[in-house]
Amino acid sequence: MDISLMIFISMAMFAVGVIGVLTKRNALIFFLSIELMLNAANLLFVTFAYHWGNMTGLVWVFFVLVVAAAEAAVGLALIINLFRSKQVVDVDQYNELRE
Amino acid sequence: MHYELCLGLFMPLLGFLGLMSFSQILGRRSANIIGCSTVFISFLCFASLLYTFSNPISLTLFQWIPVSGIDAGFTLYLDSLSLMMTLIITGVGFLIHVYSTGYMDHETDYARYFAFLNLFIFAMLLLVLAQNILLLFVGWEGVGLASYLLIGFWYTRPSAAQAATKAFVINRIGDWGLLTGILLTLVLFGTVDIVEISSRVTTEYARGAPILVLLCVLYFIGAIGKSAQLPLYTWLPDAMEGPTPVSALIHAATMVTAGVYLVVRMHPVFMMAPWALHLVGIVGGLTSLFAALCALAQTDLKRVLAYSTISQLGLMFLACGIGAFYAAMFHLMTHAFVKALLFLSAGIVVHMMHGTTEMAQMGGLAKIFKKTHWLFLIGVLALSGIPPLSAFFSKEMILEQEYLAGFYTLFYVGLTTSTLTAFYLTRAYCLTFLGPLKINNSSVKEGPPAMLIPVGLLALLSISGGFLGCCGSDAILEGFLEKSDISLPEIEPTTFFTPEAIMAMIGAFLGFGSAALIYTQYRDRLGNTIQVLKNSFYINEIYWNLFAKPLAAVSRFIDAMVEPKVFDGLIQGSVQVTQGTAQALQKMQSGQIRSYVAWIALGMVFLVIYLVL
Repeated sequence: MDISLMIFISMAMFAVGVIGVLTKRNALIFFLSIELMLNAANLLFVTFAYHWGNMTGLVWVFFVLVVAAAEAAVGLALIINLFRSKQVVDVDQYNELRE
Repeated sequence: MHYELCLGLFMPLLGFLGLMSFSQILGRRSANIIGCSTVFISFLCFASLLYTFSNPISLTLFQWIPVSGIDAGFTLYLDSLSLMMTLIITGVGFLIHVYSTGYMDHETDYARYFAFLNLFIFAMLLLVLAQNILLLFVGWEGVGLASYLLIGFWYTRPSAAQAATKAFVINRIGDWGLLTGILLTLVLFGTVDIVEISSRVTTEYARGAPILVLLCVLYFIGAIGKSAQLPLYTWLPDAMEGPTPVSALIHAATMVTAGVYLVVRMHPVFMMAPWALHLVGIVGGLTSLFAALCALAQTDLKRVLAYSTISQLGLMFLACGIGAFYAAMFHLMTHAFVKALLFLSAGIVVHMMHGTTEMAQMGGLAKIFKKTHWLFLIGVLALSGIPPLSAFFSKEMILEQEYLAGFYTLFYVGLTTSTLTAFYLTRAYCLTFLGPLKINNSSVKEGPPAMLIPVGLLALLSISGGFLGCCGSDAILEGFLEKSDISLPEIEPTTFFTPEAIMAMIGAFLGFGSAALIYTQYRDRLGNTIQVLKNSFYINEIYWNLFAKPLAAVSRFIDAMVEPKVFDGLIQGSVQVTQGTAQALQKMQSGQIRSYVAWIALGMVFLVIYLVL
């Protein structure tokens, strides 16, 4: 199988994730974009693990999945708490840390 | 251990510390006792050392700068030269301390005065006892400091404060020379030990080597500053602002001779550099003539004596210039006695006249100061070179050596100076003590015994001091100083009445007689003094216009232009740059998460580009 296709797909996914983070203001979409970038990296891991016949990359994917799951739990809890404080999920409204 | 030596050196320092620490609680009497007794103990110590003296003593108290290549210890060196100096310093110093108890009896700041005098004695002893030049330099600066403090003793008077500053600043110029000379010595010899340098210089360098000439000239610049020679003499006449005993001790008898002492102490080096010696002789000769001319027209009694001091110091350098170091030291000693006598007896008049030093307001004072005027007259006769008083022998010896060495121009310069000396001193005596009485104040009376007794002792020394060092080749002082390798370059004449001696005597009598005639018979018909001489050829004004004014102009320019534009601009600029950057960076910290992410992405892009390339 040609890995360049897979690399291309991975890069495209990552780019979509970055653009999503940069342009979307909704915290949930923001969060979703981050997941997209993580999975783009995962895809690259799997691709190269397959290409080199090396299992290490596959092990890393599991690590990333576990971290992503934990992160999802924490992140969603954060979003819920943010929503409770201002009744919006627009990330631009939350700039109090500037001071 | 030589306890006398340490005690002799450190007693005045103890006196200084004690007087300074308890200046507020010490009474007049206890300050007197402390001030005088410390110096007297010091004098006794050195006198006992004179009694037991045989070989030079070298005593290292501690390692002072134990750096390889310098390796200066706090080392005292007592040979016959430094022993003679210590005896003059502590002996004359003690008499002047005693005199000061009378002179300063109306002063409130009594303990401070004696503290400074003791500090001066300590620093001067350190200067003459130091074995290495760095320690000598400590004493050198110490006497400069004490001189500054004492000239400015009446610091509320603007003129005194100004004179003190002037003395300090002009001495800095000379100190630059000495300090540079010390650095050059370190480069050339790798040591600052005077004894070692003296023994090594003759073998390691050729006679007349240019680098040695440079070294000697640098030392001599230091000596010029301290001994008030041309062109750095201007501070000494102004230094007369200080109390008269200070003028006697520091600015006549001891401190100003430090320059002569330095040249004599370094004489093995100077002997290896004939050109430098010639320079010493020429500067000395010019200064002596110049100062004698200036002294002719002074109207201030103390200023006459100040110019006379400069002139006599010039004669000492004149003697050094032909290698007659013994004659210089002999004249240094007699001059110390005589000039202290002149200053102190003038001081009695000044004190009793409530601080007046203008001779125009004196006149006829012999009727009131019945004893003082005799003492002053002894000083005048002695310094004029009337035989058989002390300075006659020393001055005649200098002239004779000058003649024998073949420096006829310098001989005639010295002879003229000597004649002028007799003239201006007699003039000062006549204007002060003879003629009609000008004051009508019954409170002016003869000085107290505390002042008259030390002056009387100095008068005895001035009369008899000459016999210590003359009269044949077996003179006491000459044999004594020969132990330090200080002697005369020429064989002494066999007869006493050489033509030079007779010329010197004629000159002295001529100066004395003509002045006595003019200023007793024709004093009413004399016009004003010659202004150009009174203002010492306007040298002060020339210096003022040549150095002080341009310096002030440059300072003002810097103050007006460079300071606000360049330095303030630099500071303001750095402030603005910092503030600007901070404001620019502050914008990045917007609190907008998406902009942070954008920065991170941008950073990643740059990182990738950097890593790939």
